[in-house]
Amino acid sequence: MFGEHMKVEVLGPGCGRCREAFRVVQHVVEQEGLDVELVKDESIERMMALGLMATPGLAVNGKVVVSGRIPKAEEVRQLLGAA
Amino acid sequence: MRAGAEPLTAGALPGRPQAGRRRDLLLTAAVLAAGAAAYTQLQPLAGLLAYEIAGLPRGSHLGSAVEFFLYEVPKVLLLLTAVVFAVGILRSFLTPERARRLLAGRREVSGNVLAALVGSATPFCSCSAVPLFIGFVTAGVPLGVTLSFLIAAPMVNEVALVLLLGLFGWKVAALYVAAGLAIAVGAGWVIGRLRLERHVEAWVWQIDSGGGAADGQAKSWADRLADGRAAVRDIVGRVWPFVVIGIAAGAGIHGYVPMNFMAAFMGRDVWWAVPAAVVLGVPMYSNAAGIIPIVQALLGKGAALGTSLAFMMSVIALSLPEIIILRKVLRPPLIATFVAVVAAGILFVGYLFNLVI
Repeated sequence: MFGEHMKVEVLGPGCGRCREAFRVVQHVVEQEGLDVELVKDESIERMMALGLMATPGLAVNGKVVVSGRIPKAEEVRQLLGAA
Repeated sequence: MRAGAEPLTAGALPGRPQAGRRRDLLLTAAVLAAGAAAYTQLQPLAGLLAYEIAGLPRGSHLGSAVEFFLYEVPKVLLLLTAVVFAVGILRSFLTPERARRLLAGRREVSGNVLAALVGSATPFCSCSAVPLFIGFVTAGVPLGVTLSFLIAAPMVNEVALVLLLGLFGWKVAALYVAAGLAIAVGAGWVIGRLRLERHVEAWVWQIDSGGGAADGQAKSWADRLADGRAAVRDIVGRVWPFVVIGIAAGAGIHGYVPMNFMAAFMGRDVWWAVPAAVVLGVPMYSNAAGIIPIVQALLGKGAALGTSLAFMMSVIALSLPEIIILRKVLRPPLIATFVAVVAAGILFVGYLFNLVI
């Protein structure tokens, strides 16, 4: 697991729900002390490149795993392999 | 501990015991039954609280306002919870990605109708309008069909439906839904006919929209029930303050504004009332939850139904923030046409209902 570099992207144009989604993911990453690259991308281009049409979205290693909703902390923990 | 590279699905989380699922299912059923039982007792309970326990005199302004509030708030919140739960389950079948596949390459008219129907049933928040718009047009969904979707999505939704059902009854709710869908279909069709594609910002067409996101695949019924509960937490959690404030304002109007007070401004024979209602509605940004209880109270004070519907639709469907968001992808001539065509549709509906009902 340590050899792999995990990139976690939270996507959204910056509305309240997107900020909330970022907070949830950030909280999990900090709480679990995960060694991941966490970014918040607000660009439409990135959303389109990932094929994401509903925000907020969450992508792990370039693959969309959550779209159009705020994920729960427990779910994020599972998705990031920390549970 | 699992590595991050294994296939990730949002729904079926591994390791969840079967017994937990059964408990979830039973709990959901119990909550639904308790809610339904409570629903039937609301009217007597509200009266009891307002007149017997609080001791407000029957027939007083304050008494009727308080009774109205105590009855309508739990009623609408219960209905909202039930419908949002059901729609949340329905939506686990329908994602924007699936909607796009359904609509890509559709012809006009049938495409517009389908887009309006799908739009009213797809999860949507106005900050998703831009990625959704680009995702649609770059995948070959015609501009007019895309706009039918974008008009229907905020205008006809479960929150509006519940409030209309709860406060106005099913006839007005059905009228609103039919009129909203008709406007979405009509406006999208007109804009499609006008061939305004050149007024979409040029960079939009350069974007290569990827294969489509994969959230929400391979779901079990337990996952769908979980989706329903998540929708309740999300939507009811966000909307309830608007419902309470809206109904409180409605209760105030209900108790204190004299009968027929609104007839002079929003009555059926005031010809300028419909356009005034539409113009007034555009800068007002509220969701269905905040505005519908107020409009219901106004209707009780002599406002005409068509004028009230026009006001509601204008507030919900034509909002300044959404127009500003759409400006990122649409150039001013197309924005202006969009607003004008939708406003014309709302005007038509307003006059029609004032005339017919």
